[in-house]
Amino acid sequence: MATTALHPAARTYRSTLYEWVTTTDHKKIGVMYLINSFIFFFIGGLLALGVRSELAQPGLQFVTDQVYNELFTMHATFMIFLFIIPILAGFGNFIVPLHIGAPDVAFPRINALSLWLLPMAGLLLVLSFFTGQAPAAGWTSYSPLAQDRPLGAVGPGQDLWIVAVVLVGTSSILGAVNFLVTIFKMRAPGMTLFRMPIMVWTVLVTSVLGLLATPVLTSALIMLFIDRNYGGAFFDPKNGGDSILYQNVFWFYSHPAVYIMVLPAMGIISEVLPVFSRKPLFGYKAFVFATAAIGALGFSVWAHHMFTTGAVYLPFFSLMTFLIAVPTGVKMFNWIFTMWRGKLRLSTPLLFALGFLSMFLIGGINGAFSAAVPVDFALHDTYWVVAHLHYVLFGGSVFGVMAGLYYWFPKMTGRMLSEGLGKIQFVLMFIGFNLTFFPMHQLGLAGMPRRIADYSSTAGWNDLNLLATIGGFTIAASMIPLLWNIFVSLRSGKPAGDDPWEANTLEWATTSPPPPYNFDHLPEIRSERPLFDLRHGHAAPAATAVVPQSASTSH
Amino acid sequence: MASSPRTGRTSPALFALVIGAVLILGVIAMVGLGFDPVRVGQGVISSFFPPQAVTDRGEHIRQLYDIVFGIAVVIFFVVEGLIIWTVLRYRRKPGDDELPPQTHGNAIAEVVWTVVPTLIVAVLFVASWLTLNTVEATSAQPQIKVRAVAAQFLWSFEYLPNDYDPVTNKDAKPLLQITEPEGPDGGLTLPVGRTIHLYLQSPDVIHAFYVPQFLFKRDVVPGRTNSFEFTLKDEDAGGTFHGQCAELCGEGHNKMHFDVHAMAGADFDTWLQQKIAAANASPSPPPPQPSGGSTPPGQSGPPAGAPLSLTAKDIAFDKTALTAPAGAPFQIQFDNQDASIPHNVAIHQGSPTGAEVFKGEVFPGPAQKTYDVPPLQAGAYAFVCSVHPNMNGTLTVQ
Amino acid sequence: MASDSHAMTSQDHSPVAGLAHDERGGISNVVLGMLLFITSEVMFFAGLFAAYFNVRANAPQWPPINAETGAPYHLEILPLVGPATVLLILSSFTCQFAVWAIRRGDRTAFLRNIGVTFAIGVTFLIMQGIDYTILYGEGITLSSGTFGTTYFTLTGFHGAHVFGGAIMLGVVLYRGLAGQFSARHHDAVEAVSLYWHFVDVVWILLFSLLYLLPGKSPAGV
Repeated sequence: MATTALHPAARTYRSTLYEWVTTTDHKKIGVMYLINSFIFFFIGGLLALGVRSELAQPGLQFVTDQVYNELFTMHATFMIFLFIIPILAGFGNFIVPLHIGAPDVAFPRINALSLWLLPMAGLLLVLSFFTGQAPAAGWTSYSPLAQDRPLGAVGPGQDLWIVAVVLVGTSSILGAVNFLVTIFKMRAPGMTLFRMPIMVWTVLVTSVLGLLATPVLTSALIMLFIDRNYGGAFFDPKNGGDSILYQNVFWFYSHPAVYIMVLPAMGIISEVLPVFSRKPLFGYKAFVFATAAIGALGFSVWAHHMFTTGAVYLPFFSLMTFLIAVPTGVKMFNWIFTMWRGKLRLSTPLLFALGFLSMFLIGGINGAFSAAVPVDFALHDTYWVVAHLHYVLFGGSVFGVMAGLYYWFPKMTGRMLSEGLGKIQFVLMFIGFNLTFFPMHQLGLAGMPRRIADYSSTAGWNDLNLLATIGGFTIAASMIPLLWNIFVSLRSGKPAGDDPWEANTLEWATTSPPPPYNFDHLPEIRSERPLFDLRHGHAAPAATAVVPQSASTSH
Repeated sequence: MASSPRTGRTSPALFALVIGAVLILGVIAMVGLGFDPVRVGQGVISSFFPPQAVTDRGEHIRQLYDIVFGIAVVIFFVVEGLIIWTVLRYRRKPGDDELPPQTHGNAIAEVVWTVVPTLIVAVLFVASWLTLNTVEATSAQPQIKVRAVAAQFLWSFEYLPNDYDPVTNKDAKPLLQITEPEGPDGGLTLPVGRTIHLYLQSPDVIHAFYVPQFLFKRDVVPGRTNSFEFTLKDEDAGGTFHGQCAELCGEGHNKMHFDVHAMAGADFDTWLQQKIAAANASPSPPPPQPSGGSTPPGQSGPPAGAPLSLTAKDIAFDKTALTAPAGAPFQIQFDNQDASIPHNVAIHQGSPTGAEVFKGEVFPGPAQKTYDVPPLQAGAYAFVCSVHPNMNGTLTVQ
Repeated sequence: MASDSHAMTSQDHSPVAGLAHDERGGISNVVLGMLLFITSEVMFFAGLFAAYFNVRANAPQWPPINAETGAPYHLEILPLVGPATVLLILSSFTCQFAVWAIRRGDRTAFLRNIGVTFAIGVTFLIMQGIDYTILYGEGITLSSGTFGTTYFTLTGFHGAHVFGGAIMLGVVLYRGLAGQFSARHHDAVEAVSLYWHFVDVVWILLFSLLYLLPGKSPAGV
């Protein structure tokens, strides 16, 4: 198998660790994003196990009310700000320059800064556990509960939380600038916008959302910080402020953030499904427009988190929320019809992609319930909402992340992951996920509010809660085959070769892992599937390109 | 290269096997454990619906839920079925290396699956808008005006005069105040068949008034007065419905429960008159200097010595230590200066988490009460606010 | 902008420079990056402005009554706001003159204009500091209810951006003195000037909002 790699520079005396810590190579930074995110995924997961353990039975068995509030607050904070958002940015970092045939991102040093802000933020959050009172006002940190006052958020824990989230936000903004300039300015010749892989499109839309929404969160948090520490009067009715204002500003960010958290996962799915169906994505342009539409509508639905506040114009936000179902539905059908009449290889990446499809479908449908405002009056802030958000963020994003991990791990490391262990992980995770979160629909309908540490043993919620706890530990168990798989593969995994999946996009035209600056020569780009074209004779290789031998033998 | 080794062609069969086995084992286990599969089935189905509504508005919400649920179930089975069928039907057969037809799209199909969902959500939006207007409708002259005050971490309820208005006459004096949120004598007692306008106020953080059987909740936001209207259905007279704070409000969030009692109209009128008369007869919560402590029966006798004084302000006691004589009853003059926020003084053995030996009546401020405390043995005690366990101090009895 | 030079060098020195680079021209990476960054800054100020309008709309009258004096808050006491505003607007012009100069390759005019811009930026900050001192003397601080909170937050964050802009101008001035810019090679100058115009526009909005927009009398009076 010929290589397209450049000869790497002669080895210097510097250690590998030093090289990684100081690198500005988008691929290494991307991999470090993933590692960092997984560390906080496991911390957040442990906190979730604490929550589920406490709720397994009525009564307070393990923690106090205060500690329980800290558990779910920090669980959500880690999962949202230090796992889902960064890990998708990490995939973007690794894959976007490869996808568009660029040597790196536009601002590699700023890229490194974006990365290193994240562990700093995570460290601050971990430190807040040692301040006497970790943040316990929910990841939303609604004012006045998050104000520094008795029975509120006393002490520096909440301030550390604010600083940490602002750091994550800064990282997102800088990352967004980097992605946008890279995508707009550094595409390889022939890579027009409508030949970009869908993954790149979703990163593009995500970056626009991040660029426009994240600074608004920053402003909200800074105002909250001023309220807490300098006697400000923004959000505290006691000083003439307005607690609803905080919710408006917070959700103006945090609803688009939901799409920041799921669009790149949709992008991953849109790469995996065509490759493992051996067909192009069905309705590429419609898919792009649907992505853009979700991004645009995402800015006009924030108040659907506030239907019960009595302070928002309900019909408008209801209509917008319903409308967002349309582009989402378009995508769902595009994915299904990508597989339609294809030749499906049921490898692990495809299994996780199918997990995404079937679970995200539920997350979309149960979201529509809350768009119907009167139904939301019944379901808001109950376990129904917990079910909904986990079907979107776990059933959607996490399954997407796993699909991406199994799909690109060979490209990142040059080694294959074991299919057998991957399937065990998928089955455990799929079953555990549904055991955990499906009963929450019923709990919510039965009237169990979220964010309570205890419930009456006569409320009829015991069995479903126990079931959910069993499911939670099943999900935790599914992480064991994953870690074992990665460990074994890194030590002695099967070499991947350049293109183990017979894939379509440019990252598979270089070595695994790719060399610094990614490409020696690029194939001609005449569609969104340059490698497919190369393999099946629709495109000539670039005149001077060294073509992988395998490409010509594949049919 | 072309014959990818990672086909995993056994997995769909494995999958079907696992799912089938789980289902069969489940049914066998159910029968074996003595459950009736039909009754369990009915229970499972009803768990996908909210509780039976006890208000007129709740009934409308339930109807809307049924519509949304029906459409959702159809969409779920069609799309999920399509996914599963596609996967099973089009999985690659071993050795089949032929390239499938490379379809890039189909304009008609794509228009159809854009337009049809648009129509579905349009129908859903109109249905929910109509229901919303019914649910949000308020009458010019509701028959009962009540206020629920949610403070960290206790509900209290106030029956308001008919001329109350949150803008023009917001200081109208309540006819009656109920400070006990739960139990047969506490909670919100309401007549069936009359329009009830419920105002919601909070002195501290955001709470939410939520009764699952109303199929309704509304936030209680400090700095603004939210309200909503409803009528309890006639057949619910005599029922008690449990409610709970639904917006995270701090440490005691999960303890903010309350009861709603539904009464026949005539019974309610009698009940309200009696309660108002009783409240006026006994020394009422407002100042000056009443002595309405809840002394356990049989504990009388003149208190010895000067009363201890204790003040609660900004969710804190003004003293961290008190001293009382052993073996003699004594009094605590308790001044709650936190507006609308409930406090009391309770005495616990040893530490704030020890056994309770005395509990004074909880009442919202600003108001004072004098508690008559029965004789205590010499030793170390703690005084705490039952509502806010972080408010505490030591009581030395010697 | 440390990254600017880096982005250039990474392309110039990379063994694959040009190969994977679109040759269609257009604005440079640095300028596009700055424009996008400014977009996010606009949204940041939009959040603060939204809070200001919300607080103002909820207040029964604006400016509200100062609980200590019994009279409404007033800002006419500040002597330096007018001159500072005029200066800041002027600095946008000098900044643009600097950009035009370096585009022509006129380094002397470039350095003179960028130096003047930098000096005005620093002067603006000093004047704002003096105004703050006067307000503090009157007892108006960040914790003076909604009025003090919004005033100091809005002007304070604008001041922080002027400070950031002045540092960028300082770096450009230093690099200009070292002869690093030419008619062909001055992306950093373009980017910094965009940022400085943005800071100026924010101030014009703020000034109109805080000093020119008529107050609101209490309802029914």
